[in-house]
Amino acid sequence: MAQNPGFDQLRKILLEQDREEREELAKKLSELDDQLNSRDKLELRVDPILNDYEQHLKEKFSYLFGPQITESISKQIKDSQDEVVEVLYPIIGRMIKKYITNEIQKLSEKVDQQMELAFSWEGWKIRIKAWFTGTPQKELMISKLIEPKIEEIFVIERDSGIVMGTFSRKESVDQDMVAGMLTAIKAFVEDAFTKEKQELESIDYENYKIVLKSFKSFFIAVVTSGGMSMAFRDKLDDQLIDFADKVLKNARSESDESEEDQLSGRLAEFFNEFENGDK
Amino acid sequence: MAISKKVILVGHFGVGKTSLIRRFVHQKFSDDYLTTIGVKIDKKVLQVDDMEVTLIIWDIAGETNQAKIPKSYQLGAHGVLYVFDITRPSTYQNLHEQLDYLKGVLPNAPVEIIANKKDLISEEKQEEVLNEIALEGIRTSSAKTGESVEEIFEALAKAMVS
Repeated sequence: MAQNPGFDQLRKILLEQDREEREELAKKLSELDDQLNSRDKLELRVDPILNDYEQHLKEKFSYLFGPQITESISKQIKDSQDEVVEVLYPIIGRMIKKYITNEIQKLSEKVDQQMELAFSWEGWKIRIKAWFTGTPQKELMISKLIEPKIEEIFVIERDSGIVMGTFSRKESVDQDMVAGMLTAIKAFVEDAFTKEKQELESIDYENYKIVLKSFKSFFIAVVTSGGMSMAFRDKLDDQLIDFADKVLKNARSESDESEEDQLSGRLAEFFNEFENGDK
Repeated sequence: MAISKKVILVGHFGVGKTSLIRRFVHQKFSDDYLTTIGVKIDKKVLQVDDMEVTLIIWDIAGETNQAKIPKSYQLGAHGVLYVFDITRPSTYQNLHEQLDYLKGVLPNAPVEIIANKKDLISEEKQEEVLNEIALEGIRTSSAKTGESVEEIFEALAKAMVS
């Protein structure tokens, strides 16, 4: 059966647009296929996106993954303590070894100095002093090695915590507030822990010791550094009692305005050369 | 002439003792509440006439009953600031009794009574509370706005040196 030419013409007109669209689609599909299967072309398109995301991750890494990483590390350390110790042991060991070597070297230098001292006039003085005072010679030698030193002295009114006089070898923090806090600490410890009438005698912190000597209406706080030997403590006690007896009794009868300055001056007289002198 | 005086701030907890000191010494205020543990010492120098007065201020942790505070914190004080919260009746209901106790411990120390947090209630309500307490010389203050804070410490300093 012969086709009607009019019908063919009509079909051509109606499907022309569809055909063009199909060809266009096929072309785009072919391009897309080319881009997806060609590494170079795909990289060109995807790289900027990945770079942006990589930058974002870098900036927000700790925020996004911090808690999980911390948790994971904590868990890992907890679960593998032996392994952690194994890893850290050599590092810590080396640090400790280095520190001890350093300290031994310092001690060795001091021992050398003491050996020189042993055969000097000073050495004989120590022997005689040890013999007279009954303090073992080794204690006197050790106290020489780590010499105790008075850093600061506060004379403080007992109840009010008001500073009556000070002696200091360095610029310290506010002396009024230190005196107040020492009074408060002393009061707290004595109230809280002592059933009978007892006094707080010292406060220790690392290389420092605060020696507290209480009298009726005031107390004296002496901040010392270095090793506190019994001999030094005895000598300090004697000197504090002597100071209280000779100076503080009179100081209270003097005028208010100059009392603190005068007392501070007398403290300096009594304690400036304390470590070296025989006072 | 220079002189040092110990001042203690006492009263129930949360009445604003630490805030008053913070306002007076550091000119600051914070709404955050951190309870004082034990005691905290602060210091400020005031000029009273021709005298330089160093106030050593003991901010003592709040207690509903002053007898519970270690006596050694109170002893030796030259002046007392008793602080209560004007918006909380429980902080001033035992005021007379507490003042009697403090007078017993420190018979010669002047005492200033402070009704703090006045910024939180109206003038009428403040009057009402002060009438209820019926005690002469109570000063109202606000650590938050700073109102009357300086004046209170100055008045106490004057009373201590006179």
